[in-house]
Amino acid sequence: MDRRKFLKQSSLASSLFFVPSFVRAFEEVASGSLGYKRLVIIQLSGGNDGLNTIIPYRNDIYYRERPSLGIAKPEVIKLTDEVGLNPSLTPLKRLYDKGYLSIINNVGYPNPVRSHFRSMDIWQTATDADEFSQSGWLGRYLDHYGKHPYTAIEVDESLSLAMKGEEVNAIATKDPKAFHNLSRDPYFKNIQKHQNDVHLSEHNLGYLYKSMIDAHSSAKYIYETSKTVSTQQNYPQNKFGKQLKTTAQFINSRLDTKVFYTSLNGFDTHVNQLNTQKRLLKQYADGIEAFVIDLKNNGTFKDTLILTFSEFGRRVKQNASVGTDHGTANNVFIIGENLKKKGFYNGMANLNNLDDNGDLKFEIDFRTIYATVLDKWLEVDDKKVLNKSFSQLDFI
Amino acid sequence: MKKHIQHLYRRIGFGILPSELDKLSENSRKEIVSGLFKASSVMSPLEVDASEIKAAFSEMMGKKLDSQTRMKVQKISRQKQIELNVAWIDRLSTSKEILREKLTLFWANHFVCEDNNILYIQKFNNTLRKHALGNFKDFVNAISKEAAMTKYLNTKQNRKQKPNENFARELMELFTLGEGHYTEADIKESAKAFTGYSHNLRGEFVFRKRAHDYGDKTFFGKTGNFNGEDIIDIILENKQCAKFICGKLYRYFVNENGNDKHINELVDVFYKDYDIENVMRHMLMADWFYDENNVGNKIKSPIEFLVGMKTLVPTDFKKPRQLMYIQRLLGQTLLDPPNVAGWKGGRSWIDSNTIVLRLRLPSLLLNGAYISKTKEGQIDTQMEMKKELFKKRYGKRFTTETNWAYFTQQFKSVKIDELAPHILACGVSPEAKSYLNALEKVSKQEYCIQLMSLPEYQMC
Repeated sequence: MDRRKFLKQSSLASSLFFVPSFVRAFEEVASGSLGYKRLVIIQLSGGNDGLNTIIPYRNDIYYRERPSLGIAKPEVIKLTDEVGLNPSLTPLKRLYDKGYLSIINNVGYPNPVRSHFRSMDIWQTATDADEFSQSGWLGRYLDHYGKHPYTAIEVDESLSLAMKGEEVNAIATKDPKAFHNLSRDPYFKNIQKHQNDVHLSEHNLGYLYKSMIDAHSSAKYIYETSKTVSTQQNYPQNKFGKQLKTTAQFINSRLDTKVFYTSLNGFDTHVNQLNTQKRLLKQYADGIEAFVIDLKNNGTFKDTLILTFSEFGRRVKQNASVGTDHGTANNVFIIGENLKKKGFYNGMANLNNLDDNGDLKFEIDFRTIYATVLDKWLEVDDKKVLNKSFSQLDFI
Repeated sequence: MKKHIQHLYRRIGFGILPSELDKLSENSRKEIVSGLFKASSVMSPLEVDASEIKAAFSEMMGKKLDSQTRMKVQKISRQKQIELNVAWIDRLSTSKEILREKLTLFWANHFVCEDNNILYIQKFNNTLRKHALGNFKDFVNAISKEAAMTKYLNTKQNRKQKPNENFARELMELFTLGEGHYTEADIKESAKAFTGYSHNLRGEFVFRKRAHDYGDKTFFGKTGNFNGEDIIDIILENKQCAKFICGKLYRYFVNENGNDKHINELVDVFYKDYDIENVMRHMLMADWFYDENNVGNKIKSPIEFLVGMKTLVPTDFKKPRQLMYIQRLLGQTLLDPPNVAGWKGGRSWIDSNTIVLRLRLPSLLLNGAYISKTKEGQIDTQMEMKKELFKKRYGKRFTTETNWAYFTQQFKSVKIDELAPHILACGVSPEAKSYLNALEKVSKQEYCIQLMSLPEYQMC
């Protein structure tokens, strides 16, 4: 390259650099062509009662089995002639009306386990009920397709098994500034100076140095990128609201991250379920609506898919403490702008046909949802990630 | 050789202090290794006060547990689990029965189990401790009859009319043989042999005859009216079991990369009678255990990291929850394994979050977040001020008490230039070394913190 050409190109490059909106547009074109879509996972921990979330308000069995726990017909937010939402979910109804919500019913897996730990483990590792894995499904996505640790971020203090791969782990941070500060002492900068990258991964000590260097540059990158935007959107003042606000900030700053993981706890409602679940579902729905609006305002909603799950649903019959015990199949929510199947993906469970424990029989294996998301949304080979081939669904 | 003793103690314990090292340095390898076994010949159970639950249970004996009592027990149990966790970590950093304790930690990630009832999990924990150096056959049988295990792997639900294969499968896959050394039919048949295994409220083993399948089972080519103990006998006859266990011991205590020749040596010792003490003694006496290739090349587990730190500078966590929190952030909370496969270990301990925290934790917990960066020949003028500032701002959040006086006492005879081999298990990378050499060694404490803030400190 001759000198004149070089000058011309570099001046063009630098002038581009100083026009942020142009750069932004350029980046979007580039990212679009790379299939730059993001997945947000929301985990409802403790086992959300699906039957009091999506309510079959015309079903006599529902009211018979839940004499003091069933949601009375007038209170239900009607979606169809048969089915409606928990009264706390008004914001979700608005998303439903816009066609941004797809509800998949009776999601589970064969030989369901009713232990929180184990069932969550199964959902996070995507194994069969009698198999164990030391890596999670999103971790294995990182193993195969993640360029950096920050390709997947859990907006929390530590990583779930879902986000740990065989080789690569995601990053956990709910406060990018604190994380950056923790890593920022000049002492660390100095000990890693002049480290020769080439030999690093050969032995364990080198691996530690490499991890340190990666972590420090990731912390810096996440902090410096995300601080460039601040949101105008109001979020509910609770932990979940804050998580979603941080997630939106990451997304809207165009952080090069494909997967985000968040969670809302407390759904293990054995006793006096009504008020607890009402409060939690309100947190969920208020948070999600603010999140969707925030993304829409920043032009990122169209490239974001939100998947909500819980480790299991709860027993059809209420227990003696006006609560419910651990059950099996449950509903999964898919939220996004261009859904193929808006509203209900499939029908409600047949309450006449329960298993020996009085629990719902699953119809859709959760891993078919994962496979669909991996293949059609993240555009990667789902078999590599799930170690098995699953048939796919048709919601995106 | 001092270097060998340090290596030995880093692997079978959490390091050794200079004063202790001086005492041992004149002894032969045989004397030192024998001393370790001798110190561990006793077994001190680890117990927290669970009398409240015991009392509640003895009132209920023979009756069905009502929901009120169950909730009360769960509430107390949650608190007591934290107490047991803290007591365990304390035990690891102070016990004289160090070999037994290190093996208990090893077995806890082999026979992986958890339970929300403090009585059962405490009993399980002490069964690990009791058999840690004993006979492996007795060990497997004891584990199969533990209340916590019959709950965790559903042996309790395993009845003649409706077999549950969970325990039988993991018994072979994770506890004795390893994947691929049995068939699905072997699992089905052996599950029948474990039908009827259960426990009472106090957590004692109960064999429910009516739930047991007395019919013939065909297992590994043999047919008979086998019970659970017979099945374990048959499994242990298979040399693969000795191979599986010795391979795991080798990768934990010697080198993550197995060495067939060395492992086969161990297998020959172990297969004779499945005596854990004998095979460990052989390992610790072997020249290859002290080979340069096997020294300082393992990444510490979070517990090895934490307890190692506490061994060097005694640290008291005033708030137990803080100690729990740190374990969670580091990725290993004792008594709370991810699943029956346990923690993967090795490089998987390390991710962006844990490496950042590990490098920062020694200075945060022990030194007011301060790492001295004073150039050689200069005086550290910022140190006191910065530590004070940290204490003022964050002191309330870090409710730890550190005993540097103890460290000073223990390291009295060590010159500051000779500190590194006591703190680090491996050599310092040339790049970090040249930086450290350009810094002033302000004091043993400050130099110790500098060394503990290196990636090298993560090795053992």
